[in-house]
Amino acid sequence: MAGNQPILLVEDVEKVYSSGSSSVAALRGVGFRLEPGDFVALMGPSGCGKTTLLHLAGAMDRPTAGRLVLDGDDLGTLGEEELARLRRRKIGFVFQFFNLLPTLTVRENVALPLLLENLPKKECLERAMELLARVGLDRRTAHYPSELSGGEMQRAAVARAVVGKPRLVLADEPTGSLDSDNGTRVLELLKELNRELDITLVVATHSEEVAGYASRRIVLRDGRVEKTVGAES
Amino acid sequence: MTLYLTLLRLFILRGLAREKTRASITVLGISLGVAVIVAIRLANRSALESFRTATESVAGKTSLEIVGTTGRFDELLLRDLLWLRDYGHISPIVDGFGLFPSDPADRESGQFLQILGVDMLRDRPIRDYRLLRLTDKGERATGREFVRLLSDPDAIILTERFAKRHGLSVGDKMALIIDDRELRFSIRGLLVDEGPARALDGHLALMDIGAAQKAFQRFGRLDRLDLRLRAGTTLDEAAKRLATRLPAALKVREPSERSRQVETMISSFHFNLTALGSLALLVGLFLIYNTAMFSVVRRRREIGRLRAVGTQRKIVFALFVGEALLLGIPGILIGLFLGRVMATAAVNATASTVATFYIAEVALRSASDFSLGAVEVLLGFGVALPLTLAAAFLPAWEATRIRPAETSRGLDGLAGRGRRHRKKLVLSLGLSFLVYALSTLDPVGDLPVFGYVAVLCLVFAAALLVPVALSTACRVGERILRHVRGLQVESLLASTNLGAATPRVSISVAALAVSLAMTVAIAIMVGSFRRTVIDWLGQTMKADIYVRPVTLTSTLPAGTISREAIETIGEDPDVVDVDTLIRRDFEYDGRRITLGARSFEVLVRYGILHFKSPSGPRQHVLESAKNDRVLVSESFSLRFKKRPGDLVEISTLTGRKSFEIAAVFYDYSNNRGVVLVDHTTYRRYFAADGEREKPTDLAVFLKPDRDATEVKERLIRATSGKHRLLFRTNAGVFEGSLRIFDSTFAITYALQVIAVTVAALGVISTLITLLLERRRETAVLRFLGATVGQLRKVVVLEALLIGVVSQGLGIVVGCLLAVILIFVINVQSFGWTIQFHLPVSYLFQSTFLTLLATAVAGFYPAARAASVQAVQFVSEE
Repeated sequence: MAGNQPILLVEDVEKVYSSGSSSVAALRGVGFRLEPGDFVALMGPSGCGKTTLLHLAGAMDRPTAGRLVLDGDDLGTLGEEELARLRRRKIGFVFQFFNLLPTLTVRENVALPLLLENLPKKECLERAMELLARVGLDRRTAHYPSELSGGEMQRAAVARAVVGKPRLVLADEPTGSLDSDNGTRVLELLKELNRELDITLVVATHSEEVAGYASRRIVLRDGRVEKTVGAES
Repeated sequence: MTLYLTLLRLFILRGLAREKTRASITVLGISLGVAVIVAIRLANRSALESFRTATESVAGKTSLEIVGTTGRFDELLLRDLLWLRDYGHISPIVDGFGLFPSDPADRESGQFLQILGVDMLRDRPIRDYRLLRLTDKGERATGREFVRLLSDPDAIILTERFAKRHGLSVGDKMALIIDDRELRFSIRGLLVDEGPARALDGHLALMDIGAAQKAFQRFGRLDRLDLRLRAGTTLDEAAKRLATRLPAALKVREPSERSRQVETMISSFHFNLTALGSLALLVGLFLIYNTAMFSVVRRRREIGRLRAVGTQRKIVFALFVGEALLLGIPGILIGLFLGRVMATAAVNATASTVATFYIAEVALRSASDFSLGAVEVLLGFGVALPLTLAAAFLPAWEATRIRPAETSRGLDGLAGRGRRHRKKLVLSLGLSFLVYALSTLDPVGDLPVFGYVAVLCLVFAAALLVPVALSTACRVGERILRHVRGLQVESLLASTNLGAATPRVSISVAALAVSLAMTVAIAIMVGSFRRTVIDWLGQTMKADIYVRPVTLTSTLPAGTISREAIETIGEDPDVVDVDTLIRRDFEYDGRRITLGARSFEVLVRYGILHFKSPSGPRQHVLESAKNDRVLVSESFSLRFKKRPGDLVEISTLTGRKSFEIAAVFYDYSNNRGVVLVDHTTYRRYFAADGEREKPTDLAVFLKPDRDATEVKERLIRATSGKHRLLFRTNAGVFEGSLRIFDSTFAITYALQVIAVTVAALGVISTLITLLLERRRETAVLRFLGATVGQLRKVVVLEALLIGVVSQGLGIVVGCLLAVILIFVINVQSFGWTIQFHLPVSYLFQSTFLTLLATAVAGFYPAARAASVQAVQFVSEE
């Protein structure tokens, strides 16, 4: 049955943020499933719950109600340390503002998820070099992030997201801080990696153009799935 | 102004209220620094004032004192001094000390009383005594009654205060130990608690001059003549004329001269304490810098918004300076209050440390008026406030550089910083040369001012080395730790984080390194000193039993031992030699020194002294005895710049005479300087009582293999009927000396503990600041799958790296500081040579403890790092 197992199963997920006596429901019963190799665009207006959903799917936060199953692991049953391990092994993140660590070189940044896994440093750096070559940054490996352009930083961030061969990559507005040329280049890259490495890709975006790269769109509104466009694979 | 105050309230005060712990730590840091400085100043002022008041009130209306050039003088000299009456009233005085055994069970201690033997009729115009009438306590006695009271040779008059304290009243008999004899007196009156009776906390007694001469066995001898000048005679003129007319055996001086001598002695000791105390303040200021920087980092976003809505840079600057003042001013106020409390401790430390005469000790101990004067308040604010502002300047300036659009900077742009260390290295090297140059300069007066400036320069030179030391430690640390299983990524993150934050961390690390360096330096100095003293005691303490009268203490060279007692001791079958030593206060070149007399033959026979120069002087010393040559202590040699072969010109019974210095010996029991002569020389030139002059100490040598404790017990039994003597075996003296030695340095350690604690707090606060700066990076690490444990390890490793750098620099700089302390400051302050000794086990122990402490200090920031809400910080973009 392994072939039928979804990469991500989201069932009736609710998320309520409470502060004192007031509370805000960010998600109100969201459900969908992602299969291996999916490229899904998560769309909707600001405040609709996209980022919250990405954080829940990325095992960075816990739902108020409902269930998330990532590659067979029910996230609700895992402890903090197990979640951290799961993130290291199965999830990659790409952020709008790149979030490379300024004190590490580009190569060290890319190797970081593997280093956190305590793999031999040499091996980690070699794997990082391979990916940096793949994203066209083989001449910038010893540079610090502050010495790179925005596009280069985001490509390095993409390399970091996939270096650990994750099953799922979550990208939050990955082109939001880039000009259109660099944006396109990053999206092309993500698409290629999605295809080549059979990585499931979820991109949260406002942009129709970005969503155009995806095979499926999940549109959220007021914390609910308003519609799903495109066939489930 | 209104806008400023509103912003200060909303922006700064609320922030401080949120960060109560951190604000309290900072306030405490400043207050401790201020407290130490104020306490020492208060203790100093209070003790000196109290001593001055005591001297003045005992002196009464005395304008000038006439004293013997070599000590006491023959009262027959008075016959030739009738012309003195032309200048005013004169009153002959016998001055001495007696010990009141307040606790009958304790034969070794008691309460000292200064006893003035006066001729009441001649003294009345000089001192204003008011005596309580015996029958009716409300009235006062007449002069006639006063005289009658004192006609009884056993009569004594106490102060009302002393009598009340010890439950004594008029008519009672009381025991007093004078020299080594216990005498009994009848209390014939009490002095009303005012004027001289108040001085010395009431530790004053009056006797008739004849009775006092009998009690002290100073028949026909006087200590001084007090002179009250006639109205219209100026002091200077009278002093000049008297100086030319007085015979060679006498000289004239002002009563205040005594307090000036004490002032010099105490001020030198307090100067050293103040210098150490200032260090605590310096570290406190590092804390202000940290707190201000923390505040700026934490509020970058708010500052950006303030700027965006048009707040001027100068207001932003003033806000953060205002914050420093809000912490500094309460810190100073608390410090002033704490200083009053700590003054008592400082006084006790001074009293037990400064080897001066008894009157000073009494004055010190009775100095309870630690009220803050304008000077202390000005001192607290004058020192701490400018430094507070200076510490806040950089953070406040950084706040003004925040751009209106700025929201979060994190560590961006920090990488690659801190690499331009060359300038700092050159400056550090320049300062090191300056340190060397300053160390070769002479003291200012008796104060090692340049020595302390050298210490300060060395501290700054070390602080400038911190950035390069940190970068190196980070690189090397990562290379070593990456091979440790489970620390690969943690060491990489810790070293790169810390390396990038070098400009931020350097000040805190410097504070810790400097505190540790001072601790190491003092440990080396004390350890070296201790070792030197142990060696010296071993080399010079050759006698088996040491004897002194109970009335002779380290601060009161007043008691002597009767010939009869010496004979009794010498008759013991196990005793082979009794070496007698005479010690007395003496004046040389206007300063107080000790004149000692003992048998040079015994010195050589038993090898008692340890000579500094010339080497191997045994025969030379023996010959010196015949040629009236003298031996001087090292402190004398250094204070007065005298070497073997030089001449020392001192007053003798026959006028001023020059003595040649035969050798210089080590003496760690006296920092005033000792001139030692052979007994024959002493008798010829200094012993006014001739053969009758009694010794102050005895060194008893036993036959081989005799049990010193057993003999000691026997000697106590043999002498206790008539004499009050203290017997100590060689081992007892040895232990006692080390005990005094260790307690003397206790306050120094206490100051160091304060400095290190404050510095450790600084490290915690720096780490928290760093973590706040990189909350976003921490959040990213959580997204990438870093566990809480890994994040904790990173912070603890950072703390550990800070500990390694601080301790490493601390040891190196500490050794250099110790060299300055031992070979410059100590020599200039005390005149002692200390052999440098590296306490290796202490250094290992301290390194272990420092690393442990810094690692533990990292736990709290580590816990804060682990609790960073990753989702929140990544979303806050």
